[in-house]
Order: sequence, then C-alpha cells, then structure tokens
Amino acid sequence: MHKISVVAAFVCFVLAVSAGCCGEVTIKDDLGRDVTINSPSERVVFMMENALKTYYAVGDPENIVALKDDRWMRKLLDDIFPVIDPDFEKKLTVSVSGDRVDLESLARANPDLVVLWATTPDDANLKAIEETLGVPVFAIFVRSVDDVLHQVDTMGTISDRMERAAEVKEIMHDYMNTTTNVTSNIPESERPKVYWMWTDVLGTAGVNSGINDLIELAGGVNVMKFAENETAMTMEHPVVNLETLIKLNPDVIYMWYNENLDPEDILTGDDFNGWKDINAVKNGRVYEIRNPYLFDAFSPRMPLALLHVAVDLHPDRFKDVDMDKIIDDFHVDMWGVHYPSMEKA
Amino acid sequence: MVLSLFIGKFTISPDDIIQLVIFNLMGAETPHPSVYKTVVFEVRLPRILLGMLVGASLSVAGAAFQGIFRNPLVSPYILGLSSGAAFGAALSLAVAPQFPVQLSALFFSLLAVGFAYYIATSRGSTPVISLLLSGVIVSAVFDSLLSIIQMAVNERALQSIVYWLMGSLATASWSKIHSTLPLALAGCAVIFLLRWRLNVLAMGDEEARSVGMNPELYKAVFVVAASLAASSVVSVVGIIGFVGLVIPHMMRMIFGPDHTHLIPLCITFGAAFMVLVDDIARAGMGFEVPVGVITTLIGAPFFAYLLRSTRSGGWE
Repeated sequence: MHKISVVAAFVCFVLAVSAGCCGEVTIKDDLGRDVTINSPSERVVFMMENALKTYYAVGDPENIVALKDDRWMRKLLDDIFPVIDPDFEKKLTVSVSGDRVDLESLARANPDLVVLWATTPDDANLKAIEETLGVPVFAIFVRSVDDVLHQVDTMGTISDRMERAAEVKEIMHDYMNTTTNVTSNIPESERPKVYWMWTDVLGTAGVNSGINDLIELAGGVNVMKFAENETAMTMEHPVVNLETLIKLNPDVIYMWYNENLDPEDILTGDDFNGWKDINAVKNGRVYEIRNPYLFDAFSPRMPLALLHVAVDLHPDRFKDVDMDKIIDDFHVDMWGVHYPSMEKA
Repeated sequence: MVLSLFIGKFTISPDDIIQLVIFNLMGAETPHPSVYKTVVFEVRLPRILLGMLVGASLSVAGAAFQGIFRNPLVSPYILGLSSGAAFGAALSLAVAPQFPVQLSALFFSLLAVGFAYYIATSRGSTPVISLLLSGVIVSAVFDSLLSIIQMAVNERALQSIVYWLMGSLATASWSKIHSTLPLALAGCAVIFLLRWRLNVLAMGDEEARSVGMNPELYKAVFVVAASLAASSVVSVVGIIGFVGLVIPHMMRMIFGPDHTHLIPLCITFGAAFMVLVDDIARAGMGFEVPVGVITTLIGAPFFAYLLRSTRSGGWE
C-alpha cells in the first residue's frame, strides 16, 4: 500500500511538473489560424530569418533545434546570432528545394513547432508539414509595423517568456520614439512622396504593407497612396508601369538593398533615361537601404530601419543624430551585444 | 506602332504627341513640358521598338527551327536557349551581380545551344532527332542549375528571378535596343536571305542532298542565326513564351508553308502582335502585367480558332 502511494505520488509529481513546464496553448498565427503549441516549445525550427532575430531577443537559444539552409541566412554568421548562441553553428539545417521544404531533413530535427513565412492557409509547405509530419506550424505574415510588434508577443508565447517579450516591445517603442518624436510633428505639406523600390525596380510597396507604415512613421507618404487604380494601390507588392510612376512623380525614391543597382544608376544610368523628369531624380533624392540585415524592417531591428529612412527623408531634422551610437546602444539593449564589434556587453 | 505611341498611362493629347514628333523630326525645341518628351521618346518609343524587335526575332527564330526540325511543336527555346538564359540571368541577379544580367543571359543561352549542337553532332552529321534530344538534355541540366540558385537565394532575389522569367518589356530603353539590335538583326537577316533553303531542309536531309544542298551546313547556319536572334532579345526582356511557337503556325495556317513568304510574314506579324499585346500589358490595367501572360491569353484563342478552321495545321 505504501509502495502504491509512493508510485502514485511520483506519477502525480511528474504530471504536475510536465503540465507546469510544457503547457499546451492555442494561439492564432498571422494567418488567423488556431495553432496549438507547447509553451515553451522546446524543439523549434525557424524557416525564416527575421522571426529568428525576434526569437533570439526573447527566447531561450537552446530551444532552437534547426534553421533553414539558406545562404542568405548563413551569410549572417558574422552577425549577432553566434554571439548570442554559442551553438548557432551546430544547429541542424533544413534544406529547401525550389520553394518546397524538404520534409525528411525537417523530420530529422524532430521539431515540436515550425515557424515559417506563409501568405495563405493553403501554403504548400504549411500543409505538408502539418499533414505529413503532424507538427504544428506557426505561419508568419508581416503586413504592418503592428505585425512586427505582434511577432514579439508570439515569440514570448512560444518561449513562455512574456515578461521578456514585453521588455523587448518596450525597447522597440523607445527607439521608435527617437524617430517618431520628430516625424510626428512634420506637417503634411513637408512630407515627401516616397516611391519604394524593391529589387524588381518597378515593384513597390502598396498601401497595405509594412513598408507603407515605415514610410509614414519616417515622415513620408507612400506615393502609391495617390495611385488612381485601387487594385494597384492596395496590392502588397504592385508592379507599376513607368508612365504611372512618372505621373505619380515621387519626391524620393527609396531602394531596398539591390546588388545589381545603385542610386547612381537611377540618377545617371543609360537604362533610366525615362526616369529623368521624376522629381526624385531631378533633385538627386534616390537612397538605398545600405545593409538589409542591419536595417531589417520586419524584425526587432525595425526601429533602426525606421531611423535610417527618416534620416534620408529629413536630413535637416536629424542632423544631430549619432547613428552609430544608436545602433550600438540598441544592440546592447536588445541582445546584450555591441555592434559592430560583436563583443558581449 | 504609330497608334501605340498614343496609348499609355501618362495622359498626353494626340495633338501634343503629333506636335512633339514633328518638332523632334525638325530638330526644333518644343513648347511642351519636358516630361512629355521623356514619356514619348524615352518611355513609349523604345518600348514599342523593343517589342517589335522581340516579336519579329522570336517569330522568325521559331519559324526557322520548325522548318529545320520539321516539327510543329518546336519553339526557339528547343535547344535549351531559354533555360540557359534563365540560368545566366539568375546567376547575375542572385550570385554574381558584377556580371550584367543581359550579358550573362546571352552568354549562357548561346552556351546552352552550343552544347546541344555539340552533343547531337557525330561524325559530321547532326540528325534532327539527336538535336531534339540533346536540347532536352541541356534544358534539363540548366533547369536544375537554376533550381539550385533559386533554393539558395533570399526571397527578394527569388522574386526578381521569377519576374525575369515571366518576361517583360517594362524596363525598355534605348541602350537596351542598341545592345540587342546588332545580333537580332544579323540573325533575322541571315534567315531572311536564306529563307528559300528552309523549304528544302523542311523536306528532309536526303531530299536536300538530292538537289545539291549540304543539309548539315545549312542546319548549322540556321541554328546559329535563329539562336542569335532569339538569345539577343531573351537576354534583355526575359522569357516570353508562345510568340515563337505560335506566330509561325498562324502564318503557316493563313498563308501556307512556303518559307519565302513565311519568314517576312513572321517578321511583320510577330512584331505587330508583340506591340499589340504589350499595349494591353502596359495600358490595360493599373499595374504592369508580365507581357508573356497576355501573349498567351490573347494568342491562344486565335490560335485555337485557326486550328479548328484549317486542315493539318497548315503543314500540308
């Protein structure tokens, strides 16, 4: 009898500890789907780099078991990840063929949660992972600055570190205020019309996009707001006609990082003669996101991207800003790492 | 073409356009805002001319390949040209930006055709069936290499590659016309001047020899000429499907299979078709639609109609 009581007590203890350490929670992902996960999830696979940055700001690095095998992501080895996470280089990698996740290499990681980018609940990877491997998938789909902030909460739930998530959001808000305290007072008439140029040159950010929010917070107006065609205006990534762009006549052209083009090409290149009557070109106001890793608008580094854009849009108003110091301070607050020295703070 | 000059998203009255053209031809300064001149002469005109060049080159190349292969399913891309170009473009867009996209696409498209021809040639002879199969092999190899690039790059670079693959005239400029024109013209001119020999080749190698023609020599000449014409335009505008396959068929169905007429008809109708389709792509909607998409949507119903109303698809 005594033995039975001891065994029963032990079983109860184990169950209680299990429930306490790995409670199941149901959360909504960015596509509005209900996803039931362990909180904390202890074997998480990240198939996108920006969400990984957010997780590293909030969660326990040990709970990351694998990463997407992505040269884009691997380039970041000289970034903060290996400093925050000594095991970063030892993580398993999940290969992707074309745009399809290799289920076998994913299964090898034995995940209890996969975080990936998906724009629709019918996403082939999302369905394949859930239906074939039976592993819950949290779909990330960032369409606004609020979505970026919400991602911090998500990582808080996944890692069961809501307090840290709140701190991270606080840090982000503080650094955003460095910019918005200045830009919120700029009158409408002094806000330049901005054409955002993705790498496909005539591909831009519609009014329902995170970049639209970034431009507005930085003290500009997305030129797509003035497009006559409502479909083009509201698409997340419309491809505009050059004549439409000339008609919209933006004051500033802001290029996302482009390995094949520089602002100088837009200003003086033979292939861009048709652009010469656009105000931005006439006035030499073509800028580029210099470092897509550092100024990543879809990660906790969004406040840095915001400041970067704002400084270019309103150089006079931000002439006293010490960008390098802000970048360093931000990394110390967010990840406890100095930038660019990558020394632990 | 003239009508296309009046179509566009930037509103300029027909009177102003006519005045602009006249003033420009006379070399006089126009009283119009400079942006009008830019839109007409730097945006619309190069785009229209590039469209004509693309339509004509792809159609002529398609007609030549169909003649050589005696096969109605052949397009200018049969020898791996498009796969090579796509790989070259992707390489430049995502891996080695120091190499210009156009140059890289042109180099790899011609390399692909060269490989296909080399593989198919044995003991001085290049059987048509071997050429078809080697084209399939080379296409598959370059498609695989393209897949490797696509899986290794970031989402934005992937987007650029996919957009390039869909084909577009949206970034047309005079400099692109200048760089495309020599090769495209040279390729089309050779096919045009030797077009009657395609009639002989289309009958088969034995028949060609029986009239004293060296089929291997002329096959090589036509493959090189058609590849130059098609590669030069594909390297600039990306892969535009359907035109090179269907325009020669349409012309054959309407006017018969004689290449002496077929080639000039392909030049004129291919050019006109491409400009018409691009008018819809650039002015039909508020946003830019890849021209390859419209080519198929417009061309397919017309092609289907012709197919139902002619016997043997015009090959008799």
